[in-house]
Amino acid sequence: MNAIDALAILPLIIVAAGALVVMLVISFYRNQTVSALLTIITLVTAIVSLPTAGGVAPHMVGSLLRIDAFALYYIGLILLASLAVTVLSHSYFEKYRMERGEFYILLLLSVLGALVLPATTHFITFFLGLELLSVSLYVMVGYIFTKERALEATIKYLFLAAATSAFLLFGMALIYAYTGSMAFYDVAVVTQIERTPNPLLLAGAALIFVGAGFKLSVVPFHQWTPDIYQGAPAPVTAFLATVSKAAVLAVVLRFVHQAGLLAHPGTFTALAVIAVASMTIGNLLALFQDNIKRILAYSSIAHFGYLFVALLSAGELGLEAATFYLTVYMTAVLGAFGVVSYMTPADREADTVADYRGLFWRRPAIATTFAIMLFSLIGLPLTAGFMGKLLLVSAGIAANQWFLVLWLVLNSAVGLYYYLRIVVAMYTRVDSEQSDESHRPSTPPFALTIGAVLTVLVLIIVLMGVYPEPMLEWIRLITYRQ
Amino acid sequence: MYDLVWLLPALPFAGFLVLTLGGPRISRGACAWIACSTVGISTAIMLAFAVGFLIHPPAEHAHTLTLWRWIPLEAVGIPFSLRLDTLSQAMASVITGVGFLIHLYSTEYMKMDPDYNRFFAYLNLFVGFMLLLVLADNFVLLLVGWEGVGLCSYLLIGFWYRDPANGRAARKAFVVTRIGDAALLIGIFLIFAELGTLHIPEVLALAPERWELGSGVALAAALLILGGAVGKSAQLPLQTWLPDAMAGPTPVSALIHAATMVTAGVYLIARTHGLFELAPPAMQTVAVIGSVTLFTAACAALVQRDIKRVLAYSTISQIGYMFLALGVGAWAGALFHFMTHAWFKALLFLAAGAVINALHHEQDLFRMGGLRKKLPLVFWTFLIGAACLAALPLVTSGFYSKEKLLWDVWISPYGGPWFWAVAMAGAFVTALYSARLVALVFFGPARTQVSARPGGRVGFVLVILAIWSLIGGGIELPHTFAHVTVFSDFVAMTIPTLVELPPGLDAQLWTLLAVASVIVVAGATLGAWLYGAGAPAREALAARTGAVHRFLMNGWEFDRLYDTILVRPYVRLAEWNRADGVDKAVFLITGLTRAAHVAIQRTQHGQLRRYAAGVATGAVIILLIMLFQ
Repeated sequence: MNAIDALAILPLIIVAAGALVVMLVISFYRNQTVSALLTIITLVTAIVSLPTAGGVAPHMVGSLLRIDAFALYYIGLILLASLAVTVLSHSYFEKYRMERGEFYILLLLSVLGALVLPATTHFITFFLGLELLSVSLYVMVGYIFTKERALEATIKYLFLAAATSAFLLFGMALIYAYTGSMAFYDVAVVTQIERTPNPLLLAGAALIFVGAGFKLSVVPFHQWTPDIYQGAPAPVTAFLATVSKAAVLAVVLRFVHQAGLLAHPGTFTALAVIAVASMTIGNLLALFQDNIKRILAYSSIAHFGYLFVALLSAGELGLEAATFYLTVYMTAVLGAFGVVSYMTPADREADTVADYRGLFWRRPAIATTFAIMLFSLIGLPLTAGFMGKLLLVSAGIAANQWFLVLWLVLNSAVGLYYYLRIVVAMYTRVDSEQSDESHRPSTPPFALTIGAVLTVLVLIIVLMGVYPEPMLEWIRLITYRQ
Repeated sequence: MYDLVWLLPALPFAGFLVLTLGGPRISRGACAWIACSTVGISTAIMLAFAVGFLIHPPAEHAHTLTLWRWIPLEAVGIPFSLRLDTLSQAMASVITGVGFLIHLYSTEYMKMDPDYNRFFAYLNLFVGFMLLLVLADNFVLLLVGWEGVGLCSYLLIGFWYRDPANGRAARKAFVVTRIGDAALLIGIFLIFAELGTLHIPEVLALAPERWELGSGVALAAALLILGGAVGKSAQLPLQTWLPDAMAGPTPVSALIHAATMVTAGVYLIARTHGLFELAPPAMQTVAVIGSVTLFTAACAALVQRDIKRVLAYSTISQIGYMFLALGVGAWAGALFHFMTHAWFKALLFLAAGAVINALHHEQDLFRMGGLRKKLPLVFWTFLIGAACLAALPLVTSGFYSKEKLLWDVWISPYGGPWFWAVAMAGAFVTALYSARLVALVFFGPARTQVSARPGGRVGFVLVILAIWSLIGGGIELPHTFAHVTVFSDFVAMTIPTLVELPPGLDAQLWTLLAVASVIVVAGATLGAWLYGAGAPAREALAARTGAVHRFLMNGWEFDRLYDTILVRPYVRLAEWNRADGVDKAVFLITGLTRAAHVAIQRTQHGQLRRYAAGVATGAVIILLIMLFQ
């Protein structure tokens, strides 16, 4: 590895070093706040180092990683989301009055795994990144093991993730068996030469979709989602829903586009089936849910179905729409879980719709924040979610995917119901005052940090809803240079 | 300098945000300061723009500020862009100027209200949306403003929402205007489908190229836009909501339901004048709607007992005059009357508000009286307002604007003596009910004790508006007087005039002016006599025309008509048809969705081994699809 390689992967190196530092500090001084601060410093340094890495981009690090504008955008996105998750985690764990500093080692390692994925051009880094991301997540999901359902969630996630990783590995092996190479680019060469790809190659790709589909929780690999979302601590759920999925989506986008798989009708049909099924089943499952974390879990299934419409609309517009939509979705979901973390008292999580009844009349600011996040998830105009959906639809239309677009629009209408149910509950007046004091919100100093994060997220949602151009310029730059 | 135009709507919006986010933490004093200063600064900026335009107009007499692209699509890139031309300036200067005065008035008028901050938040929001509406450069942004003012109107009519009647009035206003809004929306879709753009100047430039004069498409587009305008401006047949809208606080009636929002329809037609010029039948329709409305509403105003309802009907009637002017292509005439009307009608409403407050919320004209001595300031200002409304010759701005309008109607190729005659009949009735108002409120015996006197801010606002109502007409005088055409030149920078003055008609103009003056003075005198010395004659007349009286009292029974032919049949049809196929189809969808939810919900059983089986099955399906398609 030469100096330029090191510069190119500087953000990754910084995060890895940060994990080590946090580990060493904890062995001498165990304090949650210190660990969280070190994590924040690490992440901020990594973000600051992005322009340095960008200076040498595009750059191949061996045949394993490619640091280009696409990778850097997703790395930046993951780092920012992780930053938000860190702040949420700190204030969340502070309520449990235990020393929880070790959590941040796991968080940083998981982030490191996530950072590898967008730059991946090789099956080795694909698998290593994914496993690094997942192994830490198993522990994070069950971190507060005294919590109801925490261990159940961990076991489920561990088993299913292990099983689907096996699918993924086997898929890679099949492709290697046929092409003799593990680099995405070599697969592309083969698919371009052969008009009908070899069954070995297709089977390999299918099994890789199974592994990736599990992480993205798309139908039919979605069933774990609500149980794990519900069982994990709210900030970890936020991490699972944003960082983990963004990283995997990045690698899927790169794999599908670079390996030129969409040209094959079977692959297209398979992904289209996944998209339609995810939209439909995700929304239907969310309809009469009373648990907010489960609603968000089911809705994430639907949202990744929407995203697949952009994935299937090949070309720049599709990539642009997918990237924009993912960014917008992550912002809104972080905001939603931020509100859940904020509202959670020490004894149990505030995650049922009933916990939010009449919230507006007690805490107008936090209720309005939540409402804005939900509006963005619905896709109402003047929020970022509207722009995201608009781009998805226009990408779909440009690619003549009328059926998918129509299905997306119909499903958005179904989605309105369960999001608005929460909003209606928040704005309903509760006459009796007895329920008010049962949900104690965060104690002030940490409420302040969460409040700051939520304010930033609200600003992003509104700004991208009325002034999307700068963000889009950025994304276009990335996709064109890829 | 003109790039600062974004501040005009941004400042009131900022005021709204601060007042909303601050909520009860903001004291009343601070709230009043925030609300007034945001609109006040907008007014100052607007004045600077107007002066700038008069001294040194920019190229093409318009300045467009494109802030950024909102909808980021290549095919339909919709920008946030504001257009400052003389038409939007004429509107915006009234909105900010009158808006500021009404804010100032409200700080005193609403001082006892527990929801002080909410009131000013809504009022600021309204001004912001109204400015957005008139400054918008494309139909989408215009529609944002259009719907925004509709929302504020709803919120403010129902401001005292604890009384269900106010909520009903608010809903009625919202629903009736929505009929017009739907037409406007369809019109915008049509324009986009036909011309491929929503940028208003482009639409106006493209329409004459693509559409022939009198073509069906142009007619449809113009009529659909007219539908929106009729709803918002309370013209026949969608006028029924405005009298009920008086349920809102009086400053709201002055600002929204007299000076600004209800004239949005006038603005819309003037803004899209190019489309109407392509469709002469649409122009005729506008003129007919205007003339019928102005006469019917004036008659209804004649018999109302509630002081605010008199003013509401008179607003409908005066906007009818503006529509008549628009229909004959007298753009400048319509806008000039809009301006003077905004001043004197705001003055009348605010003075009426002072009267109502002084009489302990009494609104019945027949329980007022004798206030000339007790409220001299209110008397004199109200008198000036009423004189302007009646268009009393020479001394009032209403006279100059109405005379210009009538003269344009007379000479316009689209107009003619018939329209002029209807307008004159309306002017007679207007003078009559103006005199009736003054006589009943300020003369005769006192019937209710005065419980409060207006304070300094109310007095100040009334005086300013009264002065404007008197001298404001000087910006445009008939050429036989002094030939001042500041205003029509100003408007002509944006909208080329259709009504050219043929030479050698001076004698005609003098005659028309004289006839109009005599009719107005006759009407006013008759009114003063009937409600003063001639009261016995009036009562004898009233006794014999009770049915007509009731008919007019109920606004020509339009509410009952709509209730009979539309609302009740619809409700009956809906009830009779409760379990029809359409319902079944709708319930089928929800039922199917629910059933599907229940069915799929079973797969979320929480059993790990079956989840694993699910993954495996999914893998097989994906494999099969990929291998065998």
